[in-house]
Amino acid sequence: MAGSRRIFLGQCGTAGAASVGGSLPGIWQSAVRAAGWLGKPGNSGRVLVVVEMAGGNDGLNTVIPFADDAYYKARPVLAVPKDRVLKLNSSVGLHPKLGDLRTLFDDSQVAVIQGVGYPKPDRSHFRSMDIWHTARPDSVDLRDGWLGRALERDPKALAGGVPALALGSEKLPLALLSGRVNVPNVQSMDAYKLLPGPGDPSAQARAKQMLREAVALKATEAGGELDFLRRTADVTLTSVDRLGEVAKAYKPGATYPETGLARKLQVVARLIAGDMGTQIFYVSLGGFDTHSRQQPVHELLLAELSGAVGAFLKDLKSHKLADRVMVATFSEFGRRVAENGSLGTDHGAASQMFCIGPGVKPGVTGSHPSLTDLVDGDLKHHTDFRQVYAALLQNWLGYPAEPVLGKGYQPVDCVKG
Amino acid sequence: MMPFSQSTSTGPLAPHDFGPSGWTKADAAHLLRRAQYGASPAEMEQAHRAGPAATLDRLCAIQTESAEFTRADDLLRKTALDTGSTANLQAWWLHRMLRSANPLAEKMTFLWHNLFATSNDKVKDVALMLAQNDLFRAQALGDYGKLLHQIARDPAMLIWLDGNANRRRHPNENFAREVMELFSLGVGNYTEKDIQEAARCFTGWHMRDGEFWFNDTQHDTGSKTVLGSTGAFDGDGVIDICLKQPACPRFIATRLLKTFVQPEPDVATVQALADCIRRHQFQMAPVLRELLASRLFFSPKSRGCLIKSPLDLVLGAERALVTAPRLEPTARCLEELGQAVFLPPTVKGWEGGRLWISSTTYLLRANFASELAAGTKYGPLMDLDAQARDHQLLNATQAVTHYTGLLLATPPDAAVVARLRAFASDQTAPATRDRGLLQLILALPEYQLM
Repeated sequence: MAGSRRIFLGQCGTAGAASVGGSLPGIWQSAVRAAGWLGKPGNSGRVLVVVEMAGGNDGLNTVIPFADDAYYKARPVLAVPKDRVLKLNSSVGLHPKLGDLRTLFDDSQVAVIQGVGYPKPDRSHFRSMDIWHTARPDSVDLRDGWLGRALERDPKALAGGVPALALGSEKLPLALLSGRVNVPNVQSMDAYKLLPGPGDPSAQARAKQMLREAVALKATEAGGELDFLRRTADVTLTSVDRLGEVAKAYKPGATYPETGLARKLQVVARLIAGDMGTQIFYVSLGGFDTHSRQQPVHELLLAELSGAVGAFLKDLKSHKLADRVMVATFSEFGRRVAENGSLGTDHGAASQMFCIGPGVKPGVTGSHPSLTDLVDGDLKHHTDFRQVYAALLQNWLGYPAEPVLGKGYQPVDCVKG
Repeated sequence: MMPFSQSTSTGPLAPHDFGPSGWTKADAAHLLRRAQYGASPAEMEQAHRAGPAATLDRLCAIQTESAEFTRADDLLRKTALDTGSTANLQAWWLHRMLRSANPLAEKMTFLWHNLFATSNDKVKDVALMLAQNDLFRAQALGDYGKLLHQIARDPAMLIWLDGNANRRRHPNENFAREVMELFSLGVGNYTEKDIQEAARCFTGWHMRDGEFWFNDTQHDTGSKTVLGSTGAFDGDGVIDICLKQPACPRFIATRLLKTFVQPEPDVATVQALADCIRRHQFQMAPVLRELLASRLFFSPKSRGCLIKSPLDLVLGAERALVTAPRLEPTARCLEELGQAVFLPPTVKGWEGGRLWISSTTYLLRANFASELAAGTKYGPLMDLDAQARDHQLLNATQAVTHYTGLLLATPPDAAVVARLRAFASDQTAPATRDRGLLQLILALPEYQLM
């Protein structure tokens, strides 16, 4: 594994040298830093868990600029009172339902990256989600996603296996789509089984064998629909066998809340403990599109996020796995600064991301965007989301960021050196 | 006999020339797999005998339903209304998709449902969902422009996209945005400002007691500028402006091509069909008649290139192989595969294509194949012994040829055929052999294509 990693880090160095010019030393150093952990036995096998907050999370009521009067002016009904904010510093704090995140923050396991967005923000859920998934704001090319492209740099992923996994979704998230690497998605672990066909056991076994052989055939037209279907079928039949065997002995080391996200993250913990070699997990928490009567819904969602992530990291810690794992959250956009007339908020622009885990460089990164210097009533971003992706790819997972993202982005300083 | 096509189009929409080999069984099967949710062996033979012109004439005009169908349809409809259950509403529609004498109209009804995707998850009213579905069916082979005007007043849609929240002093952009983004033009053909102005035009288009209600106290009567036109427009004004945009027929053309012809139509093809749509003033029957008779539709590039939606997959297998499909497990299977009708995942509908396929859904598709071939859960299979007798399936090779011809859009690779034969030749009794063979064929990547 280490050998193959070295190969693509080599590519990263070359690509960096070819085109980033002035910023070469920084990029080079992070590549070297990333390479450092690869050589250390027991320190390999880093994992990224992406948590999508679908619907457009109200970032302003997530990380709250409690010291700014403009916040209370813009949000006469929805503002969180100053005394209830879980303060992180003298200007911003977390929503009171993010108690577990606050505990993790105090334990130096949370990086809050403020003011994240992209130029000419799109307020359509679909388009903006596609932009975050593809990392291509200027193109409607939806053939692959940023994580899918990253996996294409990994010879091991290209060779098969289960390099990444989406949990709980019926469809594979676009972020994990690739023309060359197939990523399985598991909606439910219990249902992830191949039923036997008709006939006696020997006929069933032969049918399964014939199917395995037929899906492993190479299609004449590479990249065509049949090629895509065969590759998906192949990774499906492989992953069914692997997941069936993995981590039967796992016992959770934390009590998970009874929520959808917690159930998904518990499965992720089990699969990490089972050591299938999966580097990227993807889960989604939906419902953030709070146009009306926002407060009760938004509180529940933030509590679900915080409780699930808290239990997940505690569980991993009890299995001595936490050091290998980083959670990163995102939403397709934040919401308007001003609340609307129906006790809710409408689609906005810039917002924050959280990176969580012992491997983060902890603290609040970047200033909170101004609440008065707005574009069309929305916060201006100062950090491009691809700078965060660059940090996750390059400084955490050890993938070359530039070929994946199309150009060199200065990684946000959110991963420990 | 009517001419095969009255199209005067040249280019991709010119009528297909079937050449010396004429209209083959494979051509008939190709047309039926696309124009309806699969076809039984008898339907394929009938279409092959009738010829392309008669088959297309039948598909593109409304046919009288049989008394037997109407009785079952009435009963299922009444059950859905009486119980108010989405599952019963789904059963009603699935029965129509499987059994109606107007299979293309049902497919187009679904196309409108997918375009104007409204979910009973939010509407929570089976009667309103049914009324909306009737609206789609009335224009299935009819007038898209008329439908766009009607959908803006449709009660289920008004609930779905928050019509009542759109008030003079607080315009709600939800419907105005979707009219442009998802219902008529597509992203890139309007600005945020157009949406804000269009939202003002739809203010006061509300719903009361389950009916459309023009609430004039909440309507903004001022002047608005939408897509370059200025006036004191109301909602109908916005829709007329959208229909006049060149992007509008292109948008509908793209949807028709992706549903019936090719996953990624090129710009010239889209424009050719858009011109045809404009020429027929958004009337669907003549547009479909041209499209489904065209050189483009019958070209080798258009064969076996579309990934089947769950409806195409499941209903297609049932129509081909099951004598009396069971509606309730069928609806549940479709839901697991990601296509519960009346419950689209978002206002964008089901995106389709490769997005249908993931390892989870592939497993479910393979498991559907096993359960269908077992002949219990989804209903009894047709008499496989009789098929073997009638078609003289005396050995494995003949059985493989017969069933791949029935079920696969294009002939499979020799390496696949070899494996199917090897499997089938180990079995002696035809019924056992063919049951296993059917399961294997239905689970193949090739069967996911049409």
